[in-house]
Amino acid sequence: MHDPTLYIANPDVSCREEGPDGALLFNPDTDQVAVINPTGLLIWQVLADPHTQSEVAAALTERCNNVPEGQVLQDVGEFLEQMVARGFVGLYQGVAI
Amino acid sequence: MSEQALSRLPSAPLELDIAITGRCNLQCRYCYYADEMVGRRDLPTGRWLAFFEELGRLAVHRVYLTGGEPFTRPDLFDLLDGLIANRMRYAILTNGTLLTDRLLARFDQGRRRIRLDYIQVSIDGSRAEIHDRSRPNSFERAIQGLRLLVEGGFKAVARVTINRHNVDDLENIAHLLLDDLGLPLISTNEAFPCSILERQAEEVLLTPAQRRQAMERLVALAARYEGRIVANAGPLALARGFQAIEEGLAAGLSGLPGRGTLSACGCPFSKLSVHHDGTIVPCHQLAGLHLGTIGVDDLRQVWLEHPLLQAMRRRHTIPLQTLDTCRDCPYQGFCTGGDPAGALYLTGQLNARNPWDCYRVHRGEDPYYAL
Repeated sequence: MHDPTLYIANPDVSCREEGPDGALLFNPDTDQVAVINPTGLLIWQVLADPHTQSEVAAALTERCNNVPEGQVLQDVGEFLEQMVARGFVGLYQGVAI
Repeated sequence: MSEQALSRLPSAPLELDIAITGRCNLQCRYCYYADEMVGRRDLPTGRWLAFFEELGRLAVHRVYLTGGEPFTRPDLFDLLDGLIANRMRYAILTNGTLLTDRLLARFDQGRRRIRLDYIQVSIDGSRAEIHDRSRPNSFERAIQGLRLLVEGGFKAVARVTINRHNVDDLENIAHLLLDDLGLPLISTNEAFPCSILERQAEEVLLTPAQRRQAMERLVALAARYEGRIVANAGPLALARGFQAIEEGLAAGLSGLPGRGTLSACGCPFSKLSVHHDGTIVPCHQLAGLHLGTIGVDDLRQVWLEHPLLQAMRRRHTIPLQTLDTCRDCPYQGFCTGGDPAGALYLTGQLNARNPWDCYRVHRGEDPYYAL
């Protein structure tokens, strides 16, 4: 299926890595904080550049052993949906790199 | 979710109090920063901007700009833009006397307003005769500043520092600020015997009887104004803490969760302060505990490794029953020992209870200390 939507981390959001806890994302424009687990942090790092949901899921699958691809794709989709709704991740309007 | 979800010490402070200048156009009678203003020099713009870049790399969330008077800095908006560029929010604590329409219009540029949490103006009386006794020749200008903030749609709050001159004026102050000016809230504190106040305590500090009176009046006012009068320290905070003790005792409890150790102040787990010359300290009330210098010392290393900060964190694990002053206290299971700055000023030790915040002292039952 064609998957044209490109996601990218909001460049105004700060990310502080907090070891086993994962990371804290902070959106200073909205004063919202999100605590993300180490998997969420991996996704955040992938989104330093624009990527589709499938590309993010593929990057995760590559780094995580024994996780069903379909499950990863679904989990990534839910994560992205939440992050977009809260302004931590944006939809990339330009041309993919 | 919030920062509280972390299971361990954050990798860097989440917030900083920064005194960006030692200059002030007032000479308040209880200023806790007065001694520092005399002995230290302001840093130039570039040093602060470089420091803000370091804060950005550490993903610090917010900065509270104090002084001195922050609006005396001609480069204030350059500094705000530096904070914004490094993905932080900010608040400004001011005496309000230098605010003008023209100056406030400068907040409309870029993201200065969207990143502003609030501007706090200190008001210590409902009229000039009272306010000016602790903050000389400033009432009309401070109130005008507050009006400009309200009219401009800023989130403006007021800080009332309760002292001997205004303790009988609390109802009028609340009416002026919350009813007439329509502020969302006021925070209260209390003049404390540090810095300049050590030398003029008799003029400004509350007597024990006035302190009890302030507690009663503030509790009643806080109820009347339903959440619009707040306090992290001072008579209102103390009254609430003492009320929790009394309710616990009445319910037959021997203590409350998280109490019974020297755990009163959580700042060492989330916050640092910086003097206007770049000296890093745990907080401005602990002005003499130097942890390092910005631009010289790595802030993350100071945060994670400095022995003084580690000692302040270990303080939270010290049981009150190990202290001579608290061993036999029937209230220790309900107590956090009071804030460390007060303990240091009043006893000369950090790992001591702060008698100023002590319920047993408040009740006149303490064999070691009388107010």
